[in-house]
Amino acid sequence: MTDTATTAPPVSAGAAGAGRRSARGLPWALLSRIGAAVLGGYAFCWGFIALAHSGLYALGMPFHDGEHLSAILGVLLYLVVFLWTFAARRTGVTWAVLLAGGGVMTGAAALIQRALLG
Amino acid sequence: MFQNFRLSMAWLHTWFGLVLGFVLMVVFFYGSLSVFDREIDRWAIPSSRFAPQPMPSFDTILAPAFQKMQPAKEAVALLEGRVNGPLPERFEVVNSWGAYTTHRDPVVSVFAGFKVPNAKDPDETVFAVHALDPRSGAVLPQGQLRIGSEFFYPLHYSLHLTWKDLGYWIVGFSALMMLAALVSGVVMHRKIFREFFTFRRHKTVQRGALDLHNLTGVVALPFHFFFAFTGLVIFAGIYFPVAHTQLHDLHELHERVEARETGLPHERAGVAAPMASVDKMVAQAQRRWEAKGMAGDVGFVNVTHVGDANAYVSVYRAGTDRVALTGEGIHFKATTGELLRKDPPRTAVDSVNEFLTGLHLQHFRHWMLRWLYVLGGLLGCVCIATGFLFFVEKRKQQHAKAGGQGARIVDALAVTTVTGMLIATMAMLVANRLLPESLADKGEWERTVFWSAWGVAMVHAFVRGGAVARAGMNPAWREQCWLVAAGAMTAVVSNALTTGDHLARTISTGYWPVAGVDLSLLATAVVSVLVARKLARRAEQSTASATSTPLPKGGALGASMKNAEASHG
Repeated sequence: MTDTATTAPPVSAGAAGAGRRSARGLPWALLSRIGAAVLGGYAFCWGFIALAHSGLYALGMPFHDGEHLSAILGVLLYLVVFLWTFAARRTGVTWAVLLAGGGVMTGAAALIQRALLG
Repeated sequence: MFQNFRLSMAWLHTWFGLVLGFVLMVVFFYGSLSVFDREIDRWAIPSSRFAPQPMPSFDTILAPAFQKMQPAKEAVALLEGRVNGPLPERFEVVNSWGAYTTHRDPVVSVFAGFKVPNAKDPDETVFAVHALDPRSGAVLPQGQLRIGSEFFYPLHYSLHLTWKDLGYWIVGFSALMMLAALVSGVVMHRKIFREFFTFRRHKTVQRGALDLHNLTGVVALPFHFFFAFTGLVIFAGIYFPVAHTQLHDLHELHERVEARETGLPHERAGVAAPMASVDKMVAQAQRRWEAKGMAGDVGFVNVTHVGDANAYVSVYRAGTDRVALTGEGIHFKATTGELLRKDPPRTAVDSVNEFLTGLHLQHFRHWMLRWLYVLGGLLGCVCIATGFLFFVEKRKQQHAKAGGQGARIVDALAVTTVTGMLIATMAMLVANRLLPESLADKGEWERTVFWSAWGVAMVHAFVRGGAVARAGMNPAWREQCWLVAAGAMTAVVSNALTTGDHLARTISTGYWPVAGVDLSLLATAVVSVLVARKLARRAEQSTASATSTPLPKGGALGASMKNAEASHG
């Protein structure tokens, strides 16, 4: 194991300024990455769970089955997107995908709910 | 910013593992104790030391107790700000009465949910919860704390941080990071099978710690993954409250449709009505289970819309021989005892969900699996603790040279969460036996002792940590091991003196709940003494070598370790 926080050099300037460090403490790129993984990941999984839950209910699955199934899958999805955010080369892409994806899915769930409520 | 996938995973593993490892240590340890929460309850409350009982008569035992119930002051205080106008003195409208018991419970848990008048959220419910002696209907003394199920168990999943459910969120995030640490740990260690059979116990503390970290992490990997994952599934409704926020209206629609389909009223009628005999409904439910070839005990009885014409009674079979907590629900009209509905067979999704949550909570009967859970949980503790040790050992030479305090701080926090946590636990058990039973707020005192002892252990760990900043070993590890041993012995002895239930008696009469706690305490004492003596020997050796050579012993080793580390990757 290598202690990257102290030994890994910040990536070359070519990486779109991703290696810019604040004067002290954690580099901004790192904070942004942690934020994308935690908050972006949460927003994405919220959208997924809302869409899967309302969608499965619309397709005829019992309400609480839809709730449980979407939560079980949503938790696993959170793990996957969290790891992906850390492994991804560019943090900006992860922010965009997670927030846009989460937003679109949350919106779709709202539309499904509106349609079902008639 | 990370050069490759493995380095990104290594960073994630090291730093999230370090920060949240302290939380995970608490979660794993008190999760392990919660496997025997009911047994610890017996030990802590001698008046509940009798054999497990079946669900008592509703009409003669439970109903009179329910009628007297009101929410506790603390529960009412949490409603502050959630109600328009003042809080009522008495809560009159009862949403539900419930009683739950398992094959391990001498006492039955009873809970009453009350409608909160003028609440901002119309569904707001405040609960009263008691433990009741099913033989007499007497409620256990209110000031006494069931340490297993009311303190260790909630500590496992909520850290007792009730403000805005903060503890649930911290534990939930830590569980997610546990999953991430398991995946990233596997990625970091490509030669996982070779490492699995590697344990260089005699080399150095650093190698030994890493090998033990890998061994415990890999051998219990499926166990750890399963428990972190199912823990998240159990509280998914708290972490992603989609059905109660964004999809609230859909949820309401579903409940109205469901009420129509099942015939179980969703709302009160608003007309008061008396209840028929619930015992007769319970007897009928048991006859129906028997007719299906699955005779069993009652695990859960619930009355919805209590005192109303729309009230109904639900009777569930105990899951003693199933993974699911309860099942086979049968519902009756409370005013007449007429059968309203039998729950249909579980759907595939429901079966999966019940399996995941039921296997985590283990209310079924399987003593061997129960002990394996303890073993798995303790292996998790070893995995986390050796992770801390490896972190410290790897850096302390470097930090000592640079005059940094990082290793010292991490080491002191590790002492606090390993031996300090044990000291707090022992102090609480000793306080439980030595404080007078008649003390009004006995449980509160026990909580105070627990947190105070932990705080003192933390201060001790930091004060004694100077040696780590000089690349040495913190003597607090050794000193606290002695304290743990002394505390465990005191707990066993004070249990014998204050209750007369010494080991000779509990073992000869086969009262395993109390004997098991005492034997576990003795085992803890033995292990603590062995560790303390081993650490003392090591401290002597290192002072001896420090005086004979100009460099502290670790210094020379540190250099060769650096090479070992480099090859390790």
